[in-house]
Amino acid sequence: MATPAISIQNLTKLYPIPFKREKVTAVKDLSLTVEPGQVYGLLGPNGSGKSTTMKIVLGLVSPSSGRTEIFGRDSTTVESREDVGFLPENPYFYKFLTGAETMAFFGKLCGLSGARLRERTKELLALVGLENAADRRLGGYSKGMLQRIGLAQAMVQEPRLLVLDEPTAGVDPAGSREIRDLILDFKKRGITVLLCSHLLGQVQEICDRIGILHQGVLVREGRLGDLISIENQTELILENATPELLAEIQAAVGRSNGRVVEQRQPQTTLERYFLEVTGSPERVIGDR
Amino acid sequence: MTAPAATPHKAFSLARVYAIAANTLLELVRLKVFYFLLLFALLGIGVSFFTSKMTFQEQSQVLKHAALGMMSIFTWLLAVLATAMLLPKDIEERTLYTILAKPVPRLEYLLGKLAGVLALLAIALAVMVAMFALVLYAQQQSALAAVASQLAPGPDLEAARQQVRADTFTANLVPGIALIYVKAAVCAAVTLLLSTFASSSIFTIIVSVMVFIIGHVQPIAREYLMITEKGASELARFFLGLVALLIPDMRAFTLLDDLAVAIPFELFMQTAGLGVLYVAVYFLVGYLVFAGKEL
Ligand SMILES: Nc1ncnc2c1ncn2[C@@H]1O[C@H](COP(=O)(O)OP(=O)(O)O)[C@@H](O)[C@H]1O
Ligand SMILES: [Mg+2]
Repeated sequence: MATPAISIQNLTKLYPIPFKREKVTAVKDLSLTVEPGQVYGLLGPNGSGKSTTMKIVLGLVSPSSGRTEIFGRDSTTVESREDVGFLPENPYFYKFLTGAETMAFFGKLCGLSGARLRERTKELLALVGLENAADRRLGGYSKGMLQRIGLAQAMVQEPRLLVLDEPTAGVDPAGSREIRDLILDFKKRGITVLLCSHLLGQVQEICDRIGILHQGVLVREGRLGDLISIENQTELILENATPELLAEIQAAVGRSNGRVVEQRQPQTTLERYFLEVTGSPERVIGDR
Repeated sequence: MTAPAATPHKAFSLARVYAIAANTLLELVRLKVFYFLLLFALLGIGVSFFTSKMTFQEQSQVLKHAALGMMSIFTWLLAVLATAMLLPKDIEERTLYTILAKPVPRLEYLLGKLAGVLALLAIALAVMVAMFALVLYAQQQSALAAVASQLAPGPDLEAARQQVRADTFTANLVPGIALIYVKAAVCAAVTLLLSTFASSSIFTIIVSVMVFIIGHVQPIAREYLMITEKGASELARFFLGLVALLIPDMRAFTLLDDLAVAIPFELFMQTAGLGVLYVAVYFLVGYLVFAGKEL
C-alpha cells in the first residue's frame, strides 16, 4: 500500500488551563489514516478538537502523546511541511499586501523564485478567480475572496496534500460553491484533502470518507457511502410520468415482494434555488 | 500546471529569511504611525538650528548634543514600538500559522522579523542623519558668512574658516551615530525576546522601557556600591551583578559626552562588540522560548 498522506496514531492533546491544576482534553487517543487521493471530512461540533488535530498534523502545536505523519515524515520536522498546504480557520493574511504580493511571499517561503514564481502566481490567481483583484490589497477583500486567496497560497508549492479548516465558514452560498468546486477540482488532480466543515450538505457532496469527532474522541469513521446509505432501498426519480405509468409501477411493485415506501415530488435544494434567484452562478468572481 | 517545486528542503535558507525580513519591513513602512514619529524627530533636529545666539562653537556643540539625543531617543522608541507589535500581530491575525505551515523553521521566522526591524531602524536613522547633516551644513554656512563679515580677507579669515569647518563635521560623529544604532538594536532584540513570552504588546513595551531605564541606572547603582563598600551586603552585590549581566550598561553607548574629544577607536569597537553580543544572546534566548511555544 502507498504511504498514507496523513497518519495519526494515538494522538492525545491536553491544554493546560491557566492557574488551575486540571487540563482540557482537546483530542483523546485519536488514530486515523488518510489515503492519498482521498477527500477526508473531519466533522464535529465546535470545540470537538478538529482544529487542534489539524494544527498538530502541521506541527504548529505539539501533541501530548502519540504521533502524526505527513507522507511518512514526522510532523515535528520542518521537511514534512513541504508537501502540504494549509488554510487556517478564519484566515487573515497581511492586509497591506496585494493578492499577487501575498502569493509571491508564500511562494518564496516555499523556495520558489523568478519566472517560475510569477507563472505560478498568475496560474493560481486565475484558478481561484482573483486575477482581477491581483493588484488590490487584501484589506479590501471580501470574506469569500480571502478564503480563495487562502486556497491559492496553500497550493503555491503544488503540495500533494491540502488541509483546510472550515474553508467555507462565513462565505455566502455562491462563494461557498466556488470553493467546493475548487476542492473538487483539486481532487480530480489527485490532491489529497483533509477538511473540516459544519456544512454537512457540502461535506456529503465532496468527501469520500469522514470521521466524526465528539469531545475529542473519534466516534465514527468510514467511507461516506457506507455510513449513510440505506442498504435495502432504491430511489427512482421520473420525469413527466403519467398517472397511468405510476399506477403500472405500483402494480408491478405489488406483484413482486418489494414495497413503495414513499412517493413524492422531489424538491430542489435550497442552495440551488437560492443561486437561481440571485443570478447566474457564473458571475464575475473576484468583483464582489 | 507547472512541475512541482522539486528543490530539496534546506535546513537554513537565507532566501526565506530575506523574504520574511522584506515583508516585515514592508509591513512597518506601510504603517502610517511611524511617519509621525519620524516627522517629530526631524522637526526636533530642525528646531535645534535656531538655538540662541552663542558663539559658533557653543552653538555647534548644543546642536550636536540636541540632535544626537533626539536621534537616540527616536531610534530607541521606534525600535521598541515596532518590535513589540510584530509577534502579537502575527499570532492574533493567524498569519503565523500560514507562515509556519510552510517549510519555514521558527529560527528563520524570528531572524527575519529581527532583520526587518533592524532594516527599518537603519532607514529611519539614515533619514534623521540626512536631516542632521543638512542643519549642520546650514549652520556652518551661516557661521562662515558671519566670520567673513567680521574679518578682513587675509590669513586670519582663512584660519577662522578652517576652524569653523573643523568644528562642524567632526570625525567622532560617525562612531557616535553608529552606537546610537547599536543601542537601538540591543533594545529591539530585548523587545523581541520579551514578546516571545509576553501575552500582550503593552506588557512587552512596558517591560522593555523598564529594561532601558535599568540599563541606564544600574551603573550608577554599582558605582554607589563601590564607594560605600562596607554598606553593601553580599546579596545586593550578587543582585546587582546579575542585573549587570542581564542588561548592558546603556550609558556606555553614549560616548559623545564631550563632543570635542575624539572617541578612541578601541573603545568604540569594544562598545559596539558588546552591543552585538547582547543582540545575539537576546535573540538566541528569544528563539529558545519561541521554539517551544504553543501557537
Ligand atoms: N490554545 C488553547 N489553549 C487552551 N485550550 C484550547 C486551545 N485551543 C483549543 N483549546 C480547547 O480545545 C478544545 C478543542 O478546540 P478546537 O480544536 O479548536 O475545536 P474545533 O476546531 O473542533 O472547534 C476546545 O475545548 C478548546 O477550548
Ligand atoms: Mg475549529
